[in-house]
Amino acid sequence: MSKFVRQHKQAWASLKKKPGFILTVLMTMGITLGALLCAVTLNYLLLVEPLPYPEQDRLFVAEHKLIGPEKETKAVAYTYPGLVHLYKSKQAFEQAAMMIYGQDVIISHSNQPLVNTTYVTPEFHQIIASPMAVGRMFEASEAIDTNNPVTMLSYNTWQQEYNGSADILDEKINLSGISYRVIGVLSEDFIEPELNGIGQETQVWLPWDYNQTGEGGRESFGNISNSLKFVGQLNKGVSQSQAQQLLTPLVSDRWQEGVVEIDFFNGWSVSMIVRPVKDVILGDSESIAVMLLAGVVGLVLIACANISNLFMSRTAEKQRQMAIQAALGATKKHLFKTMFAETTILMFMSIILALVISKVGFYIMQQYLGAVLPRVSELSLNPITFGCAVLVAITFALFFAKLSTRMINYRALNTTLQSSGKGSGLQVSKKTRQVLIASQVALATVLVFANFSLLKDAVKTINAPIGFETENISTLILNFSSTNFPTREEGIPIMAEIMEKLEALPQVESISQSRSPLDGFGVRALTSVADNKNYTPYFNNVSHTYFDMIEQPLVQGDNFTLVDRKDGTDVMIVNQAFAKQLKADGDVIGMQISTGRPDPFKIIGIVRDIAIPGDAATDHNSEALGSGVPRAYVPNGLNNQSFMIKVKPGQLVSREQLGKLLGDVDSRYAVFSFDAASDILTQRLFAEITTAVTTAILASLVFLLAGIGLYGILSYGTQLRRFELGARMAIGATRKHLVSLIIGDNTKAILVGFIGSIALFALAYIGMSEYIQPLLTWQVIPMLLVTLVLIVLVTLFACYWPLRQYINKPAIFTLRGSD
Amino acid sequence: MTIPIIKVQQLSKVFATNDMLTHALQGIDLEIQQGEYISISGPSGCGKSTLLSIMGLLDFPTKGKLYFEGVDISQLSLDQATAIRNKKIGFIFQQFNLIDDLSVYENIALPLRYATHLVNDKQIKEKVDYCLDVVGMSSKAKRRPTQLSGGQQQCIAIARALVAEPSILLVDEPTGNLDSKSSDQIMKTLEALNNQGTTLCVVTHDIDYAEMAKRKIYLLDGQVLGQTSLDY
Repeated sequence: MSKFVRQHKQAWASLKKKPGFILTVLMTMGITLGALLCAVTLNYLLLVEPLPYPEQDRLFVAEHKLIGPEKETKAVAYTYPGLVHLYKSKQAFEQAAMMIYGQDVIISHSNQPLVNTTYVTPEFHQIIASPMAVGRMFEASEAIDTNNPVTMLSYNTWQQEYNGSADILDEKINLSGISYRVIGVLSEDFIEPELNGIGQETQVWLPWDYNQTGEGGRESFGNISNSLKFVGQLNKGVSQSQAQQLLTPLVSDRWQEGVVEIDFFNGWSVSMIVRPVKDVILGDSESIAVMLLAGVVGLVLIACANISNLFMSRTAEKQRQMAIQAALGATKKHLFKTMFAETTILMFMSIILALVISKVGFYIMQQYLGAVLPRVSELSLNPITFGCAVLVAITFALFFAKLSTRMINYRALNTTLQSSGKGSGLQVSKKTRQVLIASQVALATVLVFANFSLLKDAVKTINAPIGFETENISTLILNFSSTNFPTREEGIPIMAEIMEKLEALPQVESISQSRSPLDGFGVRALTSVADNKNYTPYFNNVSHTYFDMIEQPLVQGDNFTLVDRKDGTDVMIVNQAFAKQLKADGDVIGMQISTGRPDPFKIIGIVRDIAIPGDAATDHNSEALGSGVPRAYVPNGLNNQSFMIKVKPGQLVSREQLGKLLGDVDSRYAVFSFDAASDILTQRLFAEITTAVTTAILASLVFLLAGIGLYGILSYGTQLRRFELGARMAIGATRKHLVSLIIGDNTKAILVGFIGSIALFALAYIGMSEYIQPLLTWQVIPMLLVTLVLIVLVTLFACYWPLRQYINKPAIFTLRGSD
Repeated sequence: MTIPIIKVQQLSKVFATNDMLTHALQGIDLEIQQGEYISISGPSGCGKSTLLSIMGLLDFPTKGKLYFEGVDISQLSLDQATAIRNKKIGFIFQQFNLIDDLSVYENIALPLRYATHLVNDKQIKEKVDYCLDVVGMSSKAKRRPTQLSGGQQQCIAIARALVAEPSILLVDEPTGNLDSKSSDQIMKTLEALNNQGTTLCVVTHDIDYAEMAKRKIYLLDGQVLGQTSLDY
């Protein structure tokens, strides 16, 4: 033990003289191994770790597949009565639950928060054994058709909306005009199965009976919904395929009875698909996780290659010390142990940093990738992470120690002392060093250029003009909190009063009774009456003040009027892209467009195109993207329950203020959502912003790694030439001469590296021409030049930096080989 | 008396390590006149190589004055020291310090390539050929240093030291890595150079070779223990 401690003490004493070396190894290995631990933990979670529910092997989701006359899949979604029929039949499943997802506003809460709701039958929480923090879960008294208005809250809702109140079980909450008694709060440890998409987080759980499906929808076999789900625990001994065979006729026969009078469904059928809950939750995320792991392993290998260069340099530096040890009888094994002590210290320091970085990585993934990857909320430092960390630390410590020891030519080492430090006991040839430099330059050039390309595209999208105003504009969408919906005639005066009160707010500059373009367009099948051609443009119902508020200019014709909205006039405004699609010259004023109703719409105006991030052409014949997407607008009704609110510069309107205003007009109305257009724009640009940030970080990391790698190998080469440099200094070589000498000697390798990078580009082009071809524009040239300049600068730095320790000291230091 | 090529006054050099100071030189006073042949000898660690390094501007003194041709050069920058070394001082090392990747010719030409004043290829060739001739190595011009014996390598080192026509040759243990026959030949070559007017300062621990000098300086513990009188 004392030998072990002494060896490591000596290693530390030797290392701490080189803080720059320690820092470089620590940062490079710490960051990359941190990323590796993140990726390994994620892969373990997704590929190996069981779901946190009892008997997960028996947990299955039954899906309802609608098949068209040509045997093609039309949709995978339930009809409401079909789902209830399946649930009540109690076939194949020992226990099964129905669920339906939605959103609602807690109108009894002072903030009137918008919450995610899930309506479930009691079996759901029993099947997954949901842990409770307070109270109880749903039970038989909340089963289907009991109509018992109770609720369970998520732990976060309890904490955030009710401050973790101890009296929560005495609370009643009101949603859509129904008062629910709180009977329980789920535990903080509860992990919701993400059956309705990644990142699903239910805040308020409600009994199935109170789901918001209308009376008509509850009976209709013609309506389908993606938010209807069926999950259960299969009977013991029943396989997945057996369950499918059992359930298909049961559901299909009932569905056929239900649609017998609907011609549209002639020739259609239903098939049931039974899938493990784990497959439904994970989807194709496993391949994403594996790809992420592969990418990170690649990064670790690059870092490893670079750090190997540093260790080569370090070994060269320690040559004299090793020669003395060898002269005193140290065997290769002794030298290995000395190196191993150093690498162990460095790798364990790196792994501690890596654990910290992986913890930060988990947090970032949970914050930003919660909607992309499943189960990320379960990521944490666990025994697998720690085990992997220790294994990686030991493996790399051994690898670097072995690599350093292999470099030593033990016989030549003994002669090092005899020649007063001249000569070399190390055996990495000049040719090998040149190959290493060339490969570093080639790899760094390719990676930096690739990252720059992605970064440029992302930044271009982020900065692209969208063609309309978002500044100071927010969208208010109302929630109707009662089961008695008002008629159109009843709604119009209420909306008028709400508009009037909104306009009267001192912060407000103007109001438009429409949603912002960023709140989404629909898609509508339209037919040109003149030539009977079909189109599927984006479609929106808007107010007569819509275009003025978002400053989308009318380029031809007229805007809608208040009368158009009042009378429901069949007029339409199209954008330039749609106008050109309808008629090559774009002169479409007066054209008749049919939506299938008896009276067609008449085009009265053309507005300038807008570019909404993420909107692609709906027509597969068109390759239009961004501003080239065709759009059509018709006037909306005066009872529209959405408003764009433009506030004066520097002013704010709060959700609470709006809630109070609505309550004063009509207590049945509440704020469903109130979002700034600029926030929605940022959300829509999430992918591009993530790409920009990621590529910028990766480009920086590649630079860092390339710099470290080049520094390592050039430093090593310089170490080997120390006495030569000393001799040159002694006979009058200036610093400039020596810097030129080193740069000149490495120029060939750098040029070969650049040629290598072009060869790699060419190979990539041959292999992936369909992806690369669109990127090959003239804009690539300045970017390539910038990349080359940056790589040259990094290389020049890597040439100069190791040299400075010799050229900035008296020549005797370099000649003697010691301080 | 003329202005000495090198003059040192109260020169001291202290090497500092983590926990101790080593006084390599302590208050050395010395003058080297044009055309002199001086030997500096003494036991190992007495400071002779350190003194030679400081006089050759390879290192800097901790204290004291150093004059070169009457100019105080104690406070030169690295670049200024390099320029003087290139133009005025020729160095010969125990380990020869030839560059293995260069031919004999290129090794000798190197100081001229580093010269601040322009020297064209023709002039370089003339000078290199002359120096090769002086040391009797004309036939080896195209060889690599590794293809030569130790004695031959030291001859090349002498030629390299001579090529820039320095004011003084500083020689550090020139025979330390050579057999006796080669050593004798090198010392004779040096003596011949002195006879032709080249100023020589040779550090050696070999008593016989030290005796070949016209003035002998003996160092002990960083101090001049004794010296023969100036003949000039």
